[in-house]
Formats: sequence, structure tokens, C-alpha cells
Amino acid sequence: MFGITLLTFVLFNVVMGDPSLRFAGRHATAEQVASIRSELGLDRPLHEQYIFYVKQIVTFDYGRSWSTKQQISTMVGDAVGPTLSLTIVPFISEIVFCIGLALFAAYFRGTVFDKGIVVTCLALMSISSLVYILVLQNFFAYQLGLFPISGWDPSWTGRWQYLHLPWIIMFTLSLGPNILIYRAVIMDEAFQDYVRTARAKGLSNRAVYARHILKNAMIPIITIIVIGMPFLITGSVLIENFFGIPGLGGMVVKSLNEQDFPVVKAMTVLLSMGYMFFNLLSDLLYGVVDPRIKLS
Amino acid sequence: MFANLQTAAVKSARHYQRAAIAALLLGAMLFVASSCTKKVDDKDTTINIVLRANVKGLDPIRANDLYSSTVIAQIFEGLLQYNYLKRPFELEPGLAEALPVASADGLTHTFKLKKGVKFQDNAAFKDGKGRELTSKDFVYSWRRLADPKLASEGFWIFDGKIKGLNEWVEAMKTGKATYDTPIEGFATPDDQTLVIKLTQPYYQLYYVLAMQFAGVVPREAVEKYGEEFLNNPVGTGPFMLEKASDWVRNSKITLKKNPNWRGETYPTVGEAGDKEKGLLEDAGKPMPFAETLVFTELTEDSPRWQNLMKGNFEYAEIPNDNFETAVTKEDRTKIQPDLTKKGLRLDITPNVDVTYIGINMKDPILGKNKDLRHALQLAQDSQTLIDKFLNGRGVAAQGPIPPGVSSYDASFKNPYAYNVEKAKEALKKAGFEGGKGLPEFTYDGLADSKARQQAEFFTQNMAAIGIKVKINANSWPQFQERIKTGKAQLFGIAWGADYPDAQNFYQLFYSKNHTPGPNDTNFTNADFDKLYEASLKLPPGAERDKLYTQMRDIVVEEGPWLFNAHRVGYRLVHGWVNNFKWSEVQNDTFKYLRVDPKKRSELKPKL
Repeated sequence: MFGITLLTFVLFNVVMGDPSLRFAGRHATAEQVASIRSELGLDRPLHEQYIFYVKQIVTFDYGRSWSTKQQISTMVGDAVGPTLSLTIVPFISEIVFCIGLALFAAYFRGTVFDKGIVVTCLALMSISSLVYILVLQNFFAYQLGLFPISGWDPSWTGRWQYLHLPWIIMFTLSLGPNILIYRAVIMDEAFQDYVRTARAKGLSNRAVYARHILKNAMIPIITIIVIGMPFLITGSVLIENFFGIPGLGGMVVKSLNEQDFPVVKAMTVLLSMGYMFFNLLSDLLYGVVDPRIKLS
Repeated sequence: MFANLQTAAVKSARHYQRAAIAALLLGAMLFVASSCTKKVDDKDTTINIVLRANVKGLDPIRANDLYSSTVIAQIFEGLLQYNYLKRPFELEPGLAEALPVASADGLTHTFKLKKGVKFQDNAAFKDGKGRELTSKDFVYSWRRLADPKLASEGFWIFDGKIKGLNEWVEAMKTGKATYDTPIEGFATPDDQTLVIKLTQPYYQLYYVLAMQFAGVVPREAVEKYGEEFLNNPVGTGPFMLEKASDWVRNSKITLKKNPNWRGETYPTVGEAGDKEKGLLEDAGKPMPFAETLVFTELTEDSPRWQNLMKGNFEYAEIPNDNFETAVTKEDRTKIQPDLTKKGLRLDITPNVDVTYIGINMKDPILGKNKDLRHALQLAQDSQTLIDKFLNGRGVAAQGPIPPGVSSYDASFKNPYAYNVEKAKEALKKAGFEGGKGLPEFTYDGLADSKARQQAEFFTQNMAAIGIKVKINANSWPQFQERIKTGKAQLFGIAWGADYPDAQNFYQLFYSKNHTPGPNDTNFTNADFDKLYEASLKLPPGAERDKLYTQMRDIVVEEGPWLFNAHRVGYRLVHGWVNNFKWSEVQNDTFKYLRVDPKKRSELKPKL
């Protein structure tokens, strides 16, 4: 954590230059720039600025955005709901669907089903995510009018109508890479000695896959899923922008573009903490999936 | 065999069952989605507006970008405003009862306020009822603009121009002054009278008072909400944010008609041709016409265009990618017949701006060699740039002043306009024939694809005469820093008018405004400075325009800018929108717009 705070601090306070010039505007005089630098606390010695930054992290008080002057905690609180509403449904459904299809492909490995799935996945992956968004939004929302083109309603009952099409796109986007990676993991397990032993004991192929291969494949699968969890928050910038969803991804990108360091620093720390939490969670889950793994 | 077949049949049945469930779920989703299509209300007067970027805050002192200013202008008002229809732009009273009375020396300006103006109802006031506006509210609001702790980007409108204001700012920095410390230049003899005393003649004062920075706010509300005032705006304008939740950050802002509004009627006089365009049909009728304004923030062109085509926004600018599908090839002033059939019409309004490539005059090579700068200007093919990158939506700039601004001369032609042969000659005269002996220059621009393409085009133009240029793509803050710290050598940028006075453009060449001030090229010319200072002391008129013309000639001759274009805005407007007249310098335009709900209910379902 210390490394992360130091890295982000050096990156934004030393490498990326002076944001007071940007916030002063094009009419500002040198005096006004100096005044803004002082207001932003950028005229203080670097070690003092770093201590202040660490204090903010410890107290979870990240102050206000330089750009919008909002409380950062409020900004994050407002944006996290739309982002999770957007990402959780396709994330869960994609896991279930992709593992199922990967099992199916592995079960029928080498057959036309397997080859068909692999080729389809490769074809899906070869298209840019922007193309999916542009084409599906144009076809389903604009041409057919089945979904709203874009928009957002903060109420829990009103928001879903705006999420159906983004969900379908996110789900489609994840199919190619995920099915292939889950299939590879399952295939890897399918040639292990314990599988041969299970078959020698007379277990049917289906039972071998359901009881043994899938269970053992869950360890790398859990790792893959957990690694993907931070993308629940940041991985949907394009979708948010095209569908007008006020989420965290767009907020982070805007903050980066505007050199809004307090927001970027807060998000970097929060995401790092989230990443560490999810890694810990995956370690705990290993023990649940495979009782041989014990935490010591 | 039979058993196997039976098992297969069961499996198949289960498979179909699952497939059916999946299909049902998908069907239900599609049904829910399609059932969301609402019937168009034939009594709804709401105006739906799309913004291309997010609104940052609803506080006049933060009105430093077009999108925030657009919303701020509906909630807050200033002493003066622009006449909606007249061109050239003309100021008229806003919260002032009449245009101000100026003293003979031009240093004292007395404003009388309209009587009975009330702030919007808000919990900040006693009993939640908006109180009456007084002249002290303006003084309070302008102190906020100058307050060093609030660091407003708009302080430049008063900086150094108001008697005692800069002294107050210095005293505030050291804690020796408060908001109650008198400022000589802002006097309030009574609640209805406001006297502004200047340190020097400032003929742009009335223009800056029409800017959103100079809008009036009530002290009670600022003190109640503190730093959250920008989320809880309270003004005197025709529309109001009823509750904070009506603003969904980065998504949508809903404003309602202000029942306390002072009232105003639609203008009865416009410019020539307005009557024929139907812009005077509502003359004399009380405004605003809409009960609600909905601002939707959408940063991407594609969904913005699709929403416009479906009638979800009343108007929008035509994105570059959709220009060919919207405008006919034969006549760029006409839209495709299918769009006309849908009731859409085209509005073409020149922007009051100029795009250019700035040359850092502190550069040891470029800054010291006028012939070299001439060569660069002569090699810059502005017309092709306009055709290729703006779909022809622009006119080649001949100087720094755009059409619509005082002293603009349409007959003036830049003597250094595109001519490759002359460019080569100028380069030879500069001592660098064929580019020999010149180092590779660096062009700074933005990192988006459009800016990069324009940068590439510039390098091609320069390569045609043997000058090598490399591109440095930046984010906006990095770009600003490169310019403001004098690191940029050549940079592609634009300037849009804050107000329609050429001084707003000529300040960009005044030597006392060197970076980080607005003179980004660090241009220094004693003759220009003398003319600029003399022009500041003159009221608008022929004498001042004569000085402006001399200043233009110096700028063109010295060449700190390579002029590119004055852009032209192309907007599509739906048939149900009345009184649409685009204005580049005023943002308080939605009180004038009227939607015909019946017509909308007929036309929109067909889109």
C-alpha cells in the first residue's frame, strides 16, 4: 500500500506537471496562477503534500474534486451504483454461461461442436468492442426501437430499462475470451492422472467432468474471475459514455483527462484496496473449493 | 437401442425446455424494453437539450465552460443581457431597469435595478420564500468572483479595473479584510442603485456584465450551502433547480419554471429577415414558454445523433460523421429530402471564433525570423483543411477577427494566404532555402483523432516546402501546460469570443498578457501595444475600429499566428421548435424557445 501511495503521488505531483495552469484558465495572469497553486496546496513542500495525501487515505477523507468542487466521497458514492448495476448482471451471467459452454466444448473436444465454439469465439474476439457498441446500439435501439438509445434514471425501478442493451453488449463482449480461457483450463485438467484413475474406476465421462474436472478447474477459474472483479468498476468506460450511464469508469477517465488529481488519487487507492481484498477473497475461496488447501 | 432413443428424446425435450425458457426470458426483456416507448404528450412544453460535455457546477463563479454556462444562464441573471434577435449583437437591460448611466469620463457607471425582482424560493430564505433582490447582492456576488480563496476563473473580468477591488483581494489574502469591508468601486447608495467606479476606461464592462460570471447570487443561500452551493443553486432566472436530486451528475439536469420570475416578453424587433423566418410570431408574448428544461449530457456523437433523429432532443449540431447523410452534396445549405419530410430544418450560424497555429515568439529561430513565419503561413492550406476536416463548415481566416465582431472587414485578404511558390521564396529570403539549415520543429496539439489528423495535415503542408515538423500529442491539461510555460514551439488552438468586441481577440497579442496570461505566443510589438492601449480608452465607434484595423495589419504582418478558419455551426432543428435562433455569445436562450406540443405529438412518433 505504501508503494502504491508513493507511486501515485510521484506520478501525479512530480511527473505530470502543474495542474494550476489548467485550472487558472486562459485569461489568468501569473499572479492568479500562483493564487490557484496556493489554494490547491501545490506550493507546499512535496513531503508535506505527501503526508497530507497519506492522511486523506487513512481517514478516508479525500476532500473535493478540483474540477467539479464536489466531495469525492459523494462523487464515488453517486457513481458506484450505476456502474455496479451495469456490470454485475453480465458479469455473473457470463461466468455461468461461459463455464457451461467451455465444459460443453471440452466434453466434445475435437468434434464439430468444439471447433465451432472455438472458431466463433475467435471471430467474436477479432471485432473491436466499439463496433459491438455502435452496431448493436444502432440496430436494436435506433433501427428497431426495442431499447432506449441512451439515458439513465437514478431510481431503482426506472434504471433497468436503460440497462438491457448495455448488458447484452457486455455479455457478448465477454463471450469470446472467457469461453476460450475456461475451455483451456478445463482441458488442462482433463488430461491429469486423477482423471484417468476416475475413468478406470468406471465413472461415466459426464460424472468425471461434473465431479472431478470442474471442481479442480475451479481454482484457476476463481483466480480468473477475481482478477476480473476490479473491471466491474473500471471496465465499462465506453459503454457508460455511449449509453449515458453516470458510472465510475467515465468519472475516472474524465478526472484523468482534466488532471483532477484528488479524484484520480482516491480512485487509485480505492481500486488497489479492492484488488487486495479480492485477492484475499480468492485465497479464502481456494480453501472452500479444495479442502487440501488450508490457510496457515 | 429403444432405451437410448428414449433417453435421447428426454434429453432433447429438456434441451428444448431450457431453450424455451431462455427465449421466454429474452422475449420478456424485449417486451419490457419495447413497452418503455412512451406516448408523446400533446400538452408537454418541455424543451429537451443535449450537452456535449458534463456540467461541472451551477455557480456563476464556476461558469468557465460552455456547458456549465448554458445551464447557469437559465438559473442566474445579470444586470445586462443580449437582445435575442438583433445582429450585430446588442445589449439590453437584464436585471437593470435600463442601460446604465455613464459619467463623462467613462469611469463611473450607475445602474438602477428593476423593482420587485425576487430570488427563487429556497430553504435558505425565511419561510422558504425568495426575498427581493437588492444592489448589495451584486456586490456580494462580485466579491465572491474576486475572493482569492474561491479562485474563480472569471476574476479577469474585473481584475485591475475596479477601484479598490485588487486592494481588497490582497487584504483578503492576509486576512485583513472581510466580505463587509467596503470597496470603493462597488457602491450601493440604496437597495435599487449600484455604482461601479473604474480605475481606467473599460468599454467592455457592459459586455462582461452580461457574462454568466457576473450573475447574482443571494448571500443566505451561499452561507447555508457553503461549498455545496454549486449543487444547490439559487438565482433570479426564469428556471430553477427545484431540488438537488433533479440534477443527476454526469447524466441529466431538470429545471422547472420559476414561479417568482420577474417576467419578460418576447422581443418585438429583430434583424432583417427574422419576420419572414417566423421569429416574430410570439412578439410581445410573456416568457418563458416552457414549463421544464431537460439537459441531457452525452459525450459521444453517435447516440446524440440517433436521439436527435428520434426526436428526443429538439435540436443538435450535426456531427462530422453524419454530415454527408444530413446535408446535400449539391447545395451545402440544404438538408436531404428525407430529413425535410420529417419536419427538420437546417440552421447555419457562423461561430464567433478563430482557429490558428500559434508560434512561440520566444523561440530563437521562429520568433526572430519574420520571413520564416511568412513562409509557414504561405504554406498553410487553410481551405483544404476546412474542406477535409470541417466538411467545409468554415471560412478561411484572413486575420484574427471573426465575422460578427466589431471592426471585422469581409473585404480584407491576408497577403500571406496559401501559395506554395511564394512560401518557397519566403523561405529562401529567410535564409533557409528548401528548408536547409532548419531544425525539426515540434507541433503541439491534442491527442484526439481529429486533432491528430489536422496535425498530420500541417506537417504535410510544411513538408511541401521542406520544413520538417514532428507532432507532440497531449491531453488538454498537458497541452495547456506546454503553452503556458513556453515549452510549445508551434501549437494548434482556437479562441472563441467571450463578447463581440475585437478587444477580446486583440488582448491575445498585448505584451503585458504574456504567458501564463492570454497572450500564448508571447508576441511583443511596441506599436501594437500603443494602439491597444489607445483603443482601450475609446468608446465603440469608427475611431476605435480604425485602431483595430491597424492592429490587425501588424498582427498579419508580424505573423505570430498562422490563421486557419472561422468555423460555422450546422444544426438540425425539429419542426415543432419555434423561435430558434442560435447565438454564439449568449446562453440564456431557452426562455425564448417555444415547443409546439401538438405538432411534436404528431411528428415524433413518425420518426
